[in-house]
Amino acid sequence: MKKSLALGVLLLFAGASLLPGEFRKEDIKVHKLDNGLKILLLEDHTIPNAALYTYFRVGSRNERPGLTGVSHFIEHMMFNGSVKVAPGEFDRKMELAGGSNNASTGNDRTGYTDWFPADALEQMLEMEADRMQGATFDPKTLESERQVIASERRMGVDNDNDSILWENVLATAIMAHPYHWDVIGWMSDIQSWRRDEIIGYYKTFYSPNNAVLILVGDFVEAKALNLIEKYFGPIPAGTPPPAVLTVEPPQMGTKRVLIKREAQVPSFQIVWHAPSVRDPEFYPMSILSQVLLRGQSSRLYRRLVREEQLATRVYGGQDETIDPYLFSIYVQPRPDADLARIEAVIEEELAKVKKEGLTDSEIQKVLNATRSDFYMGLQTIGGKASQLAETEMIYGNFEKLFTIMDDYATVKKPQIIEAAKKYFTENNKTVGTLIPEGGQK
Amino acid sequence: MKTRTRILPLLVLVLLTVSLAQAAFKLPAPEKLTLKNGIVVYFLKTTEVPLISFRLNLKGAGSAQEPAEFEGIAALTADQIMKGTAKMGADAVSEALDFMGARLGFSASDEYAAISADCLSEHFPKVLEIASACLTEPAFLDDEFKKAREIRLNGLKSVKDNPGSAVRNYFTKAYFGTHPLGHFASGTEESLAKMTAADVRAYYKKYYGSKGAIGALVGNIEKKQALALLNAAFGGWKGANAPASTLPPLPEPKGIKLLLIDKPDATQAYWILGAPGYALGDKITPQATVMNTLFGGRFTSWLSTEMRIKRGLTYGAGSNFQTYRIGGLFQANSYTRNEKIGEMLDILFDLLKKVGNEGFTAEEIESSRNYVLGQFPPTLETNAAKAGTYVRLAFNNLGFDYYDKYLAGIRAVTQAAAKEAAVKLIPTENYVLVVVGKADEIRDQLKKYGTWTEKKISDPGF
Repeated sequence: MKKSLALGVLLLFAGASLLPGEFRKEDIKVHKLDNGLKILLLEDHTIPNAALYTYFRVGSRNERPGLTGVSHFIEHMMFNGSVKVAPGEFDRKMELAGGSNNASTGNDRTGYTDWFPADALEQMLEMEADRMQGATFDPKTLESERQVIASERRMGVDNDNDSILWENVLATAIMAHPYHWDVIGWMSDIQSWRRDEIIGYYKTFYSPNNAVLILVGDFVEAKALNLIEKYFGPIPAGTPPPAVLTVEPPQMGTKRVLIKREAQVPSFQIVWHAPSVRDPEFYPMSILSQVLLRGQSSRLYRRLVREEQLATRVYGGQDETIDPYLFSIYVQPRPDADLARIEAVIEEELAKVKKEGLTDSEIQKVLNATRSDFYMGLQTIGGKASQLAETEMIYGNFEKLFTIMDDYATVKKPQIIEAAKKYFTENNKTVGTLIPEGGQK
Repeated sequence: MKTRTRILPLLVLVLLTVSLAQAAFKLPAPEKLTLKNGIVVYFLKTTEVPLISFRLNLKGAGSAQEPAEFEGIAALTADQIMKGTAKMGADAVSEALDFMGARLGFSASDEYAAISADCLSEHFPKVLEIASACLTEPAFLDDEFKKAREIRLNGLKSVKDNPGSAVRNYFTKAYFGTHPLGHFASGTEESLAKMTAADVRAYYKKYYGSKGAIGALVGNIEKKQALALLNAAFGGWKGANAPASTLPPLPEPKGIKLLLIDKPDATQAYWILGAPGYALGDKITPQATVMNTLFGGRFTSWLSTEMRIKRGLTYGAGSNFQTYRIGGLFQANSYTRNEKIGEMLDILFDLLKKVGNEGFTAEEIESSRNYVLGQFPPTLETNAAKAGTYVRLAFNNLGFDYYDKYLAGIRAVTQAAAKEAAVKLIPTENYVLVVVGKADEIRDQLKKYGTWTEKKISDPGF
């Protein structure tokens, strides 16, 4: 399930004091072209390969009803033809040169990730530049790709009970903000986006000034920069895209979703509105989410899985997003578990946090774990590119990667209690249950 | 951040990239350390990050030894090893590891049980101490056994809620039958009902020992210190004198075996086709790899091109080879909406025939070779990848120059050689095909392929 990454991808907290010489802010060379394209270069000659990550500040938060899922669809269409590259040729040329790629779309950003032998760099830059504004949206390919997305939705959402429940909980908890829908979009929108609308959306968001290009690997900086200027320099800057203005209004009471359908086991989820990464309260909430949910020693795993044996699995946490989103808890209950008791146990644990806060040892555990995660993510050129790209997109500047540990380390214990009291309230809560049809045993 | 990716990670290849200019890329040769009790640990110092990865394979403690009625006991034993030691309870173990942000795991494969540990260098002594306590003095408590059994039983149930997961379980049983390679690590409802904590203790006592154990340690640590820590943790341990593990020959399907699982709420039909492949280290490996890369092993492969790119029938379609010491398995798989399953399987059978009849173009072969070579170096980037590779190569007697030979082999694959691999390995007459979907909407489309055995998803077991 894709939401298991709540804390995974971006756990990059590192303080300057904690980093040895190998991955320093000073080694990352920052450039900006006249058209506004921001470039981060990091030479790393450990393997004869390079990772090229091109990220755009666009995701499902920029969509509107009728066009839900279109950010993700454009991500697919970027491989289906641009001015100099015929449909399907991007992948064929890249693979012939020994490269591979993937791409992903989130709430807040769309990323194109290429991994290739170092000598394929120029070809990759040329093809990436060509599709930055030159995607052709060939009508026949567009219809075929539309059905690929429909299949992806059937596989990822419609045939998965946890995902069905999640989509309902999300759309119930978030009423007004575009985070209301899943990145995949509603099936009726997928089946009816118009080509001219898709192209209009693409033109709005795909411009050099709305992108960042990150290159890590076996290259020489000056030469790589020349190539980037050669291919990306001629692309004109775009009009800055419109800001997302919708603010989620305060929730007025607990919301509940109940789904009954054919299933072997029930599902249970609770979410609360939570701060964005740009809010100082994000840090105490993030620490809380790890103490409550990370690993078998976490408070909720202990209570729900180990002690009361109500569940076989519990996970989730505070998501990292540009606008306020959710703190989520996903529970895999035992088939005969009392779901009300699961909710009560979670509330008891939150009440404890609100009253007593966390221990020093628990906070230290979070700091240790995040430091360990940080280095784990730095063992590959792709990992380095990914950390730089995600931090730049979500936090607004990659430099945050090198100081974020300080934001965690300076959180005071009373701030954690205050944040828990503020966010974990009845009015802020949405509860979702999926019960096997015929009622619970 | 919720993300949707263009290609599912499981479709991305096992083997990754090297262009021709990169012939120099090599797996660094490790040093050999021998512990006091004879355990061999291959060692490589790396300095880029303050991390250490450690792997240890315990020969003979895998699922190959499992009696059929105790299916899953090898994995259950590995799981229970971490659930308490002579001095620490299960919660103390997880607390200590989580406090360090360390990852320690015990698992069971077919012919061995394995320890894996990844942590910050400064925590390595403590992590090894815990690993040693778990391995050499596990408590095997009845209460922990019961908890693990319940979690497994629930997991087996929830698999059936997702047709994409369910089809894998049904395929495994349909293909392997009772062969140990077809055992579920989770066990089955029947085996879980039979096993007790005493059986797990007995399994540990009989099969866990230092004889033939092979490990690897890669990371930011001096050799001398590494050896001292490893000796302190494992050098005094002997354990069982495990009997050599022997696996019966793999089943080979004769003729066509078709199985349809009715899942009435499924909106897509999911399928897996399987047939015999080749054994680990077989000399056909480079040819088969270049061939399968083109057939179903990458985004522009034949299967993906015909099913996804040209027709939009699916989000993902692919094929792969699984290799074991005693043989191997070829698998192809995909899914599509119920009304399109006939169209999709027609394409599959056309391609299965075509690849043996026509083979590939010279450009395809060049592209496949470049792709396999070019995607290779990133597969060995991390400490964990290097340690895992050392252990795998040593355990299977493949030699540390295995990948040098493999990459040279890839460079030498010709059109004729790839076609030969297709003729030998791509099935047209003897295979197992399992489909999970809404039978009322797909049954008629499937008739033309032969006689199907039909089961309901709600029937017990797989």
